Amino acid sequence: MQAGSSGVGYGLKYQARCISDVKADTDHTSFLAGTLSLREENEVHLIRLSADGTELICEGLFSHPNEIWDLRSCPFDQRIFTTVYSTGESYGAAVWQIPELYGQLNSPQLERVALLDAHVSKIKCVLWWPSGRNDKLVSIDEENLFLWSLDSSKKAAQVQSKESAGTMHYLSGGAWDPHDVNSIAATCESSVQFWDLRTMTKTSSIDVSHVRTIDYDTKKDHILVTAEDETGIHIWDLRKTKVPIRELPGHTHWTWAVACNPEYDGLILSGGTDSAVNLWLAPTGSRDEITSDSGQNSLSLKVDPLVNSYTDYEDSVYGLAWSSREPWIFASLSYDGRVVVESVKPYLSRK
Amino acid sequence: MEMEDPPLDDKARRMRDLLSSFYAPDPSMSAGSQPKGASFDNIDTDSFDADQYMNLLVQKANLEGLLQRHVEMAAEIKNLDTDLQMLVYENYNKFISATDAIKRMKSNIVGMESNMEQLLDKIMSVQSRSDGVNTSLFGKREHIEKLHRTRNLLRKVQVFNAIAHPRVVFYGKEQFIYDLPARLGKCIKTEAYADAVRFYTGAMPIFKAYGESSFQDCKRASEEAVVTITKNLQGKLFSDSESIQTRAEAAVLLKQLDFPVDGLKVRLFEKLEQSMGDLQVKIGDIAGALEESNDEHENNLQLGFSVPHDASVREFVEAVRAYRIIFPDSESQLIKLSEDLITKHFLTTEQYMKERVSTATFLRVLRIIWNDVLVIDEVLPEGLLHDYCFKVSQSAVKQYFSSTFSHLLQDVSDALMNVHVKPKDVSEEHHLQVALESGKNSLLKGSMDLLLGLRQLLEDNLDLLVKLRELMTDWVQAGFQQFFEALDTRFLLLSGRNKLSSQGQSPREGLQSEKVICGLVLVLAQLSVFVEQTAIPRITEARTEMAASFSGSGARGYEHGPFFLPAEICRVFRSASEKFLHHYINMRAYRISVLLRKRFTTPNWVKHKEPREVHMFVDLFLQELEAVGNEVKQILSQGIRKHRRSESNGSTTSSLSNPLRDDKLRRSNTQQARSQLLETHLAKLFKQKVEIFTKVEFTRESVVTTIIKLGLKSLQEFVRLQTLNRSGFQQIQLDIQFLRTPLKELAEDEAAIDFLLDEVIVGASDRCLDPTPLEPPILDKLIQAKTAETREQNSSAASSTTQQRL
Repeated sequence: MQAGSSGVGYGLKYQARCISDVKADTDHTSFLAGTLSLREENEVHLIRLSADGTELICEGLFSHPNEIWDLRSCPFDQRIFTTVYSTGESYGAAVWQIPELYGQLNSPQLERVALLDAHVSKIKCVLWWPSGRNDKLVSIDEENLFLWSLDSSKKAAQVQSKESAGTMHYLSGGAWDPHDVNSIAATCESSVQFWDLRTMTKTSSIDVSHVRTIDYDTKKDHILVTAEDETGIHIWDLRKTKVPIRELPGHTHWTWAVACNPEYDGLILSGGTDSAVNLWLAPTGSRDEITSDSGQNSLSLKVDPLVNSYTDYEDSVYGLAWSSREPWIFASLSYDGRVVVESVKPYLSRK
Repeated sequence: MEMEDPPLDDKARRMRDLLSSFYAPDPSMSAGSQPKGASFDNIDTDSFDADQYMNLLVQKANLEGLLQRHVEMAAEIKNLDTDLQMLVYENYNKFISATDAIKRMKSNIVGMESNMEQLLDKIMSVQSRSDGVNTSLFGKREHIEKLHRTRNLLRKVQVFNAIAHPRVVFYGKEQFIYDLPARLGKCIKTEAYADAVRFYTGAMPIFKAYGESSFQDCKRASEEAVVTITKNLQGKLFSDSESIQTRAEAAVLLKQLDFPVDGLKVRLFEKLEQSMGDLQVKIGDIAGALEESNDEHENNLQLGFSVPHDASVREFVEAVRAYRIIFPDSESQLIKLSEDLITKHFLTTEQYMKERVSTATFLRVLRIIWNDVLVIDEVLPEGLLHDYCFKVSQSAVKQYFSSTFSHLLQDVSDALMNVHVKPKDVSEEHHLQVALESGKNSLLKGSMDLLLGLRQLLEDNLDLLVKLRELMTDWVQAGFQQFFEALDTRFLLLSGRNKLSSQGQSPREGLQSEKVICGLVLVLAQLSVFVEQTAIPRITEARTEMAASFSGSGARGYEHGPFFLPAEICRVFRSASEKFLHHYINMRAYRISVLLRKRFTTPNWVKHKEPREVHMFVDLFLQELEAVGNEVKQILSQGIRKHRRSESNGSTTSSLSNPLRDDKLRRSNTQQARSQLLETHLAKLFKQKVEIFTKVEFTRESVVTTIIKLGLKSLQEFVRLQTLNRSGFQQIQLDIQFLRTPLKELAEDEAAIDFLLDEVIVGASDRCLDPTPLEPPILDKLIQAKTAETREQNSSAASSTTQQRL
């Protein structure tokens, strides 16, 4: 397939679910990927795209004590990242630092900066302060929401505040609002909840079930994209949460991951369990149009929002990441451990 | 004084001259008046120069002469002095007498003033006397003049009467007038109103002239008589029993009597309107009666009912005719009335059409209206009522079609909604089929009926409809187009797919529909296919056929092609059918997914107990699939099997049929896990990549297979999210193994199902801390136990499901 030929591939040794863009690395386009193997020695790969964009180079390979369910690179320090891991029976979350001399050693140990050890139930994800240098972290487990203050010099993290999501809700993930640093969106079985971090209270919610991933539009305020198992992708305006402003069909099977492009308006990437990555172009219009009209909306619905479908995957795609340095590049990770970096440039020119 | 005579003459002349020279302003005049005077020797001129005269005299004359001259001169001077004295005296004399006269006048004037005042008084009194005389005479004079005029008039009238009414001529004019009341009374008795009116009008000017004076009594009497006449005439005018002629005459007479006829006109017109109202109601009755009579003895009843209507129409027409004759200038009013009647007819019809109307009934109603119009038209040819009727009927016919279409739409959706309403009435097995069939039937039959109706309307040779033929064809075409568009929207609404538009509905409603809708969506999908593949071609065919038989209108229909675009409708419904099918599959897959989610999120897989039996979720899963199969069987056709299933014997053989994997599983343990994984990957590499998600077709197998595939894929994904202990893994292995046979029986794409089932097991083993599979004998035993249990249940339930499946 043409899409397959344009992509640059890289194989992890084991199955994997998570990949993250190293945002703080301003010199290179690099990604961090962690493997998910129950019985093997798990690894974190630091992958760098060569300058000409034709090759993926392994810049570092670090062994990680447990299988990795979630991995997020620190937005201000390229050497720091967080993982959520599982030993099979128990869960843990930690902040790691890549050792200085990583180039020389074959499989050096990661330095653990801090252990986020206040959790009692299954940890789902750890979120960094959306941009800039800040020591705040949020971690979400099935029942609670924690706000951490990270002290990297002391190698410790303090729980600043904690709130239970309520007994009936099992949280499954979340996202930090890049436009309002006090707001966090957390997903649970039947809704998306919005939390105010200052008071640690739930402010509002959207009734939508089985959301796998949510992502804020970094360019536009109030826009949230959700990926649901069966019903595809929904784009919401947070000021009117009753009805989604747009609906994208998603994937043949579940839509697992979704990511908004950090630069281009309305460019959305989704990964699904039908072994495909879909590129959507669904501009939501200017702020006024969103609030007022629906005619323009219906008009734009007629244009097929699906720009391209990358189908050259062997297994379900769980990991997606846009490069913030080169926003037309994204990395995708399928369950069989294959990282594919693609450029969407040929499709952007059509815009 | 005799001496003086000649000189007197001379003297007088000179004096006069002197005086005149004295008074004359111009000396030359006096000089002119004496031109012949000697220039030098004439003393009496102005230019007299004494010295020159003296010189001349001295030179000319001698002494004697001089002396003489001197004497003469002295005498003359003396004379002049006396003259002067006399003149002064006379003058003085005259002055004195003038003064005397003035004195006298003065004294006279003083007495005159009082005399004058006296005179004025006298004159005044004379004038007032004269006025008094004048006024006292005035009345008399007037009277005399009036009498004179009357006399003249009477003379004229007599002459006129003599010309106009020879009979009256015998009477003297006074006699005629005096006889009038009696005459009128006689006329009233004999009902000879015309004569009476004639007399009265004849006498009218006389009454007008002398009503107050000469003929006062006469006038009063005849007026009373006339009032009676008027009353009688009015009565006549309003009585229906009188002949039209009489009534018309009465109206004319009334008009002649200066009676306010307009009021009568209005009243009579109101009566007409009222009768029209009666007519109105009857139309409705007839329509209703016709409806009732539809089944039995149509013609007889129709006749029976149309008779009274005809009669009433005739009555109305008669009334109109009479009215027209009575009030000849009332056409426009009557036309308007008739137009109103027609409009009301159609309004009634339209009202009536809100319920279901058969074409025959509609046609009959139209015919009745048209007949009425024709009848009325005879009476009122100027009204061009048939044109008006034609105009009004357009909208009625149009509405007829639109209401027929909306009824059709309602029928179809009702047929579909029956799925919601009474799934219990019909056996669960068939209700979808019933809904589909009834939907299909009502759609096809409805549209065919409609076309048939159109045909009926087209074939009918009612003038009205003949004119409307072309338009009707167009309307039906446009109607079909709109109908199908509306149908598409209705389907969408029924399927609840357009969430965005139906957001206004209450959430409860949405939830309610969520339950029942699955099957309905499938029905909709199939119905859409039906519309695309059968209904549209049939309709197009029927239409073409009809166009052939009515070449004129048909050709026009094609010229105006854009009214009905079968191709576009087909396209819309094709995409709709696919959408519905996908929607159905998604809904079903969602239910399965919910089921699996419960299954996998509830237990603690890391501390799973050893498997003792196949987990019950398998039953639920199969139940769901059975339900799907049930629905699908009712709706969709059997597809051609791509390949017969190779093994359908028993679960054991099927588990053994894949020795490679069994072998692989048997060998795999913690130590070998790594190699096993590699092996799996290798196996995957060499296996042809199985296309899991292929295009869905409109066959039972395709739909069921797709749903199974989606279910298994979900199962795989759920497994991947868990961490299992050995027992957990074995449980999944057992469940999957059990599922293998029934799933393969259900699905057409065995390879894909096998692949997916394997994937689940591989996924489970990946996620297992200790992936040791169950020993095959135990596996077989457990599966057999489960199969036996299922069989027992099935046989005991003796459900038709199994029978049908077998």
